[in-house]
Amino acid sequence: MTAIMEAAPPVTSAQPRQSWAAVVALAGFEGRRLLLRVPVLLALAVYAFWIVWHTRDSFDGFPALQDADRSTQGAPLLVALAVMVCVNQSVLRSRRRDTERHFAVLVLQPGRRTAAHVLSVLPATAVVAACVAVQFTWEALKPGAIGTGSPGELLVGPLSVLLFGAIGVLVARLAPSAVAVPLMVVFFLFLFVFGASPALSDDWTRWLYPVVGESSANILPSDLLGRPAAWHALYLAGLALSVALLAVLIGGARKGVAGTALAGALALTVVGGVGQAAGLSDETAAARVRASVTPEKEQTCVERGRSTYCAFPEWTPRVATWAGVVDHVQSLSGGTAKGQQLLVRQRIEARYGLDSDAAVFPLSTPHQVTVGTAWGGNRVPEFSVGVASVLIAGNEKAVGEMCDGRMVTVMWTALAWESDPVAALRRVRLDDSVTGSATVLAPTESLSMTAGQTEVVRQLLEQPRDAVAAKVKARWAELTDPKVTTGRAAQLLGVAVPKGADKCDG
Amino acid sequence: MTPTVSASGLCLRYGGTRALDDVSLRLTQGVTGLLGPNGAGKTTLLRVLATAVPADQGAFTVLGQDPGTARGRQEVRRRLGYLPQTPGFHPDFTAFEFVDYVAILKELTDRGARHREVRRVLDEVDLSDVRGKRIKKLSGGMRQRVALAAALVGDPGFLVLDEPTVGLDPEQRMRFRELIARAGEGRTVLLSTHQTEDVAMLCHRVVVMAAGAVRFDGTPAELTARAAGRVWSSTERDPGAKAGWRTGLGAFRNVGDPPPGADLLEPTLEDGYLLTLDGAGTEVAV
Repeated sequence: MTAIMEAAPPVTSAQPRQSWAAVVALAGFEGRRLLLRVPVLLALAVYAFWIVWHTRDSFDGFPALQDADRSTQGAPLLVALAVMVCVNQSVLRSRRRDTERHFAVLVLQPGRRTAAHVLSVLPATAVVAACVAVQFTWEALKPGAIGTGSPGELLVGPLSVLLFGAIGVLVARLAPSAVAVPLMVVFFLFLFVFGASPALSDDWTRWLYPVVGESSANILPSDLLGRPAAWHALYLAGLALSVALLAVLIGGARKGVAGTALAGALALTVVGGVGQAAGLSDETAAARVRASVTPEKEQTCVERGRSTYCAFPEWTPRVATWAGVVDHVQSLSGGTAKGQQLLVRQRIEARYGLDSDAAVFPLSTPHQVTVGTAWGGNRVPEFSVGVASVLIAGNEKAVGEMCDGRMVTVMWTALAWESDPVAALRRVRLDDSVTGSATVLAPTESLSMTAGQTEVVRQLLEQPRDAVAAKVKARWAELTDPKVTTGRAAQLLGVAVPKGADKCDG
Repeated sequence: MTPTVSASGLCLRYGGTRALDDVSLRLTQGVTGLLGPNGAGKTTLLRVLATAVPADQGAFTVLGQDPGTARGRQEVRRRLGYLPQTPGFHPDFTAFEFVDYVAILKELTDRGARHREVRRVLDEVDLSDVRGKRIKKLSGGMRQRVALAAALVGDPGFLVLDEPTVGLDPEQRMRFRELIARAGEGRTVLLSTHQTEDVAMLCHRVVVMAAGAVRFDGTPAELTARAAGRVWSSTERDPGAKAGWRTGLGAFRNVGDPPPGADLLEPTLEDGYLLTLDGAGTEVAV
């Protein structure tokens, strides 16, 4: 059989050609190559690994999405720096490889080639946007997730990649040297590592920086955050667009069109910059005061079992979890504590914003327990200690002065229901130990455990729970009497009395 | 026949040097050779015709378009293939990627059609088998063919080749001649070269330049005919010869004005070229 091969007809100039279609085609070509560059691939791999490693255990499984959105912002900077380096090298490629003499007589003009290089950053930006979406969705799908994320905060990572990519193109056009951008990378790393970034200052200038993380332990309701996320995203988008258009303009684009677009982008940047610098609104400041001083006016209350749970609206899905802890503690309690009605109220100190780590003061109101906005991990035994303290001492304020045998009962009822009570004891103590004296954390005021109390509690937690529970319930009245000593409590519960058990030196 | 390129009075100065001096020429379909010594202005003329640099004076059209206007220049570039002297490459690109890249810069935007065209030109220069290889792994001859493929992509009506056979071994040069001859079918090719054999074998016309000016414009036969009766053989180098050298057979081949009764030889195109340069006041070094 003879095969007749026909040569393909040539694509001639008679076929329709469009410059902007060529820009898109070139951007696609460069974008694919950019994504396959080793530094970008490495940065994306590290970023993906970080997302898995970080998000698996982040927020102890109970993320507040208004904080989870911010945690997507820092890691993309690594990808952004890699993109900046590689896109800069792509722009300089023709000069370095001496193809400029040839390409200069091809149809696509330098200005449009520069535009294509800027657009080539979009695939990497899209990959980072997808990673941000995966990370945030992962957090949002965790059963303990509450709150709402901000699109403005979520845009910061991808916009940072776009901005740094545009900077890479601009630097190639302004200073066509292979060392310029690597030097900039060193400079940026210096800023990140040594903390000289304006993001750490308190005034409005920190918002000029792409990522303003504010990694705070103070979790606030979404409407009290006071972060100008939308303005900042607008500022970043305007800045990225301005840098990109400036690069295109310097690259040889027609001044009229690119100049007008640059003016528009600069206007966006200024609008975003002014908006983000405006500071906290009076309404937000007032709402923060209300949430801190009179939270009952802002909260929704739910009855669960014998107790009432009052939470800020975003936290109402957590009521069942809190109620579970209260039930556990009460099931191990005796006397009236077992059926005691409690008011569990969520309380925050929002007046100083995210930067504040001010503690919530303890209440003297009887049978009222404070619960914070964070949950999961150590916050669970801490809340449990808070519940047990109020059941035994009557109110939160009385707990701080407690230095007697009741501490044994408080700690045992607070922790014995946990799957690993001794580990819970370690976690709830400030020094992460199960020997010696230590401070015990609680939602409001911390407690002090003496070395003797620690020894007794540890011995009890190592024993079968039901056997100890029977003794605790049987001797509840004496065990919760303010006059009971640690030695006496140990005797009543049948464990060895340590030496100096009643020495309150904690 | 309508000329593909029509130039008149082209002048270009670089500082005090007159790189182009009142150059006028008309190029038609087929391969035209451009001969001249180093510094004759060949590359400058090619760069002007390829719209890389504008001329100081004069006018020209390429494929009916005036490159003096932005629109005309773009139209010329759409139909132009240019292989510069010592072309640059992106060594990390494959042959396919490099030609594809050039095709995009020529605004071939339909991805499917463009890729077909890239495959076609790589096939045309016999590089189909290595199109997926990185350019840094290709030999010098193969790289030169990649550059030719890049010039051919988009089926240009006017092909400008600046010394494409420099540095190639004889086999590669022969192969390249085939490719250029094939490329000259149905389009206009301007081939700058130092190799008179290339011109003799490929070109239907030849232009000789010296000191920025055109010294000869005609057929290779006409250039050869300039040496008719001016090449002779002798046992010693004739002191009256413009140039002379001992051949492999031991006799001297002299070019110039022969003495009476000289043993005249059949002239070659190179003889005609040497005598043309001599008439231009250019040193003839042999």
